[in-house]
Amino acid sequence: MSNGPVLAIENLRTYFFSRSKQAFIRSVDGVTLHIEKGKTLGIVGESGSGKSVTALSTMGLISAEPGVIIGKIGLKTETVQKNLLRDLKDHVKINMSTGRIMSVYKDSLGWQKKINRLMKGIRGKEIAMIFQNPKLSMNPFSSIGKQIAESILLNTSISNRNEAKDKAIYWLEQVKMDSPRLRYYNNPYGLSGGMCQRAMIAMALSSEPSLLIADEPTTGLDATIQSKIVDLLAHLKTSFGVTTMLISHDIDVIKSLSDNVAVMYGGTVLEHGPARTILTSDYKYKHPYTAALLSSIPSQEHIREKKKLQVIEGDVLDTINIPDGCRFFERCNKVTDKIKEQCEHTEPDLREVFPGHKVRCFRFFRT
Amino acid sequence: MAKTILEVKNLKKYYTQSKGLFSSLRGNVGIIPAVDDVSFYIKEKETMGLVGETGCGKTTIGKTLLKLAPATSGEIIYDGTDITHLSSREFYPYRKKMQMIFQDLDAALNPKMRIRSILKEALTVHHKLSKAELKYRIDDLLEKVNLKKNKLSNFPNELSGGEKRRVGIARALAVGAQFIVADEPTSALDVSIQAQVVNLLKDLQKTLGLSYLFISHDLRIVELISHKVAVMYLGQIVEMGMAGLIANEPRHPYTDILWSSLVDKKSSEVNRSNEENKKAGGGGFDFERPLEGCRFAPRCPVYYSKNKPDICTDPSSSPTLRDIGDAHKVACHFPL
Amino acid sequence: MKKYSQISIKVSDFSEVPFWKKANTIDLICVGYGLTIFILVLVSYILGATDFLPGDPQKLNLALLMAPPGTEGHILGTDFVGRDILSRLIIGIQAYFLPGLLAIAISLILGTCFGVAAGYWEGWIDTIVTYTSNLLNSFPRLVLILLMVAAFKPDIYYIMIVVGITNVPAVASLVKGKIQFLKQKNFIEAAISLGLKTRSIIIKHILWHNCRAILIIQATLGMAEAILMETSLSYLGFGVQEPTPSWGNMVQAGSNYFLQGNFWPSTAPALAILFTIMGFHLLGDGLNNILEGKRNK
Repeated sequence: MSNGPVLAIENLRTYFFSRSKQAFIRSVDGVTLHIEKGKTLGIVGESGSGKSVTALSTMGLISAEPGVIIGKIGLKTETVQKNLLRDLKDHVKINMSTGRIMSVYKDSLGWQKKINRLMKGIRGKEIAMIFQNPKLSMNPFSSIGKQIAESILLNTSISNRNEAKDKAIYWLEQVKMDSPRLRYYNNPYGLSGGMCQRAMIAMALSSEPSLLIADEPTTGLDATIQSKIVDLLAHLKTSFGVTTMLISHDIDVIKSLSDNVAVMYGGTVLEHGPARTILTSDYKYKHPYTAALLSSIPSQEHIREKKKLQVIEGDVLDTINIPDGCRFFERCNKVTDKIKEQCEHTEPDLREVFPGHKVRCFRFFRT
Repeated sequence: MAKTILEVKNLKKYYTQSKGLFSSLRGNVGIIPAVDDVSFYIKEKETMGLVGETGCGKTTIGKTLLKLAPATSGEIIYDGTDITHLSSREFYPYRKKMQMIFQDLDAALNPKMRIRSILKEALTVHHKLSKAELKYRIDDLLEKVNLKKNKLSNFPNELSGGEKRRVGIARALAVGAQFIVADEPTSALDVSIQAQVVNLLKDLQKTLGLSYLFISHDLRIVELISHKVAVMYLGQIVEMGMAGLIANEPRHPYTDILWSSLVDKKSSEVNRSNEENKKAGGGGFDFERPLEGCRFAPRCPVYYSKNKPDICTDPSSSPTLRDIGDAHKVACHFPL
Repeated sequence: MKKYSQISIKVSDFSEVPFWKKANTIDLICVGYGLTIFILVLVSYILGATDFLPGDPQKLNLALLMAPPGTEGHILGTDFVGRDILSRLIIGIQAYFLPGLLAIAISLILGTCFGVAAGYWEGWIDTIVTYTSNLLNSFPRLVLILLMVAAFKPDIYYIMIVVGITNVPAVASLVKGKIQFLKQKNFIEAAISLGLKTRSIIIKHILWHNCRAILIIQATLGMAEAILMETSLSYLGFGVQEPTPSWGNMVQAGSNYFLQGNFWPSTAPALAILFTIMGFHLLGDGLNNILEGKRNK
């Protein structure tokens, strides 16, 4: 039985080194999440919460140093089953002090070589990615059709050029590109942002991946185009059942597309569970951060009564100075006296409070 | 009745685009009507929202009002005075009354200057202040925009997005502006910070009596903060009216699409069929195409559902803004 | 294995890490070397100007012709008429120091003016500046200088004026590029809307805050250029004339005896030229990397 999640990330840490501050930027600091087969996991979070870095780490595309230093990324598809960070320990030595990583020795070159070997046959084939800026992620000097056909030749069993072309047109049709036969010869710069995003999606899907990572697919597009892209993704989800990791800061997008959701803050997952319950405003058992995030979006009620928006005081956590306790402690408005001490000094675990719903907050479990 | 602080009449701003090296000699210059015949007015302590898709000319209006770009024709009347044709010297006193919050967070802040000198500069442009006064005014500003004092000696790149935006607002207030063009003030910010900035702008309006032209593509925030809203499409205002009416009872098909695409992120019947699109030249957004009749016709669902009435594409009858009651204006031959 | 370590857990909001910690070691070495050379040149210039020398650079000592380095009283030896080489090296700085500064001043001032005009107002001024600099660039500099020498007299100041003017296009295009880059970030627009005068926008916001680094870098490179020009022209006999010492004509005079085994009269000034020019270049390069943050990214 090949049940179990397609992708299971455990305790992933990806650090960068800030030369000017002589300190680590803990972009991803202990992320644990998993995606079931055929489901969509939405990752929400504000800028700097480590959403994109998690995705890039999964793809093995981190080039800045030191990069990924610890963790496990288990990929389990019909053909492949391996840890994408296998033997990472051979390349990294970590010195801890008082529960923090103080220094890292990493053989970056060796690790880069190793990861390229590990990712062979996986990147682009098993895991495909849609980037935030489609125009920059495609070759501007080649037609979109050719690029898709090339990816088909490279990643699928099709090896005939004409067949690949037909297949590419098929995928352009699938993403509802108007007149796909003509668009096949268009270069990316001749297309509008929305069209380019469609082409990018077609390219990602053309290799029939087991996992699709969509990094902010709607950001930077106009509202009318955004909704069309969301429609398209929803349509593709029902008709192809692709397992998707959807990254967005737009809660509405996540809400309408995902089955599960992971809320990220300051490089870690604060909440992981079914999207439908967590992202509704009536549901009470959720992390204070998720609650605050939801309430800071103007609702119909707010607008009608011209009410003031509820704000989260303070600023987004900067991942250089990570506090000892809960990462959201300073901005949290639900700290009670009973757990205050605990919140300030120890970081809560990500624990299951209901089946399939994990929260990192002391309000739900006391020791 | 509050007095009108800014009135814009038939404002036009055309950009010329040269095609080739000697085009200007041959008179072969492309004209892009970024703002084409726009009229509106803003009353004191009022917020007018301006929404539209990227490139529809929202920002150009803001820049033209502040004379950062010269208007091609039309009138801009600030507080009873026509400021359209003032020279930069004559316009100087108006600079302290009208300010802009720029879309780009870093834009307004010289990267090599500390926050203290940025604010100091803004305070001393129009007023001579003694050291003690200056210190008092800076503290006062910081308090108004809710910024921590220890940020004063930082450089802009050491601040977070929300803090940069606050400095931008403080800078506009420092001059003593009464009318502020806020160009996408929330677009580059995180959700939690967006709410802070929106609340701050609302508070400032209440305490200082400011008027805003609030340019944004985030419809919900526009609806929340504005008293009235104007919807722009391809350089023209297609619908204008009270915020609640525009949002809940839109009359122009474009407004309808815009708002319904927002709710739950599900698009409504914008499914334009492919063949018709091809005939209309690919649909969408193109300033360079000659504009005949209604500009929205190629994308308009009403146009197709009514079997393409001639009046919509007739060059001689482009729809003009007309009042349909309740100070609600719409530019459409067949309002919903 | 490369090591990354966090020095302090608590990093405060201020950029309290001094710039030499942020910078690359190689850049620091370059700048250190360059500064040493610069100070050495400056001190030597002052020594020469105040006539505070180890020996008389003009005094012929026929008893001590071609004394090798290390001879008592003559650390670097003497030349073919017995003059002290060290003193002549020091006094040789007089030949290029002030003229070099003149060349730098001309190129920086004119270059900045044209650069600002072209970058800030654009339009036809930009076109004129671009085409003028293309014209100037397409004309061989040496030919211009030789024309100058032929028309007037082989005076180092005339030569340096030409050097300065021919450097103007380089500075102008650099300043223009910087301004066009800054304009994209539109804080200039913000400053205009604030009501600042154009003059103060240009001087304060553009030049002082954002262009001073590149101007300093350009000055050091300009000095290297000037030294190179002076020495090569003096070597050819168009620059500083004997008996006034200059590094260029010292190399030239010494080269006649080089193959006879008396290498020091030409080698000493040649090495001085090498190390000085290298120093100025490395200084410019290192400053570029540190101040403009080229290598950290």
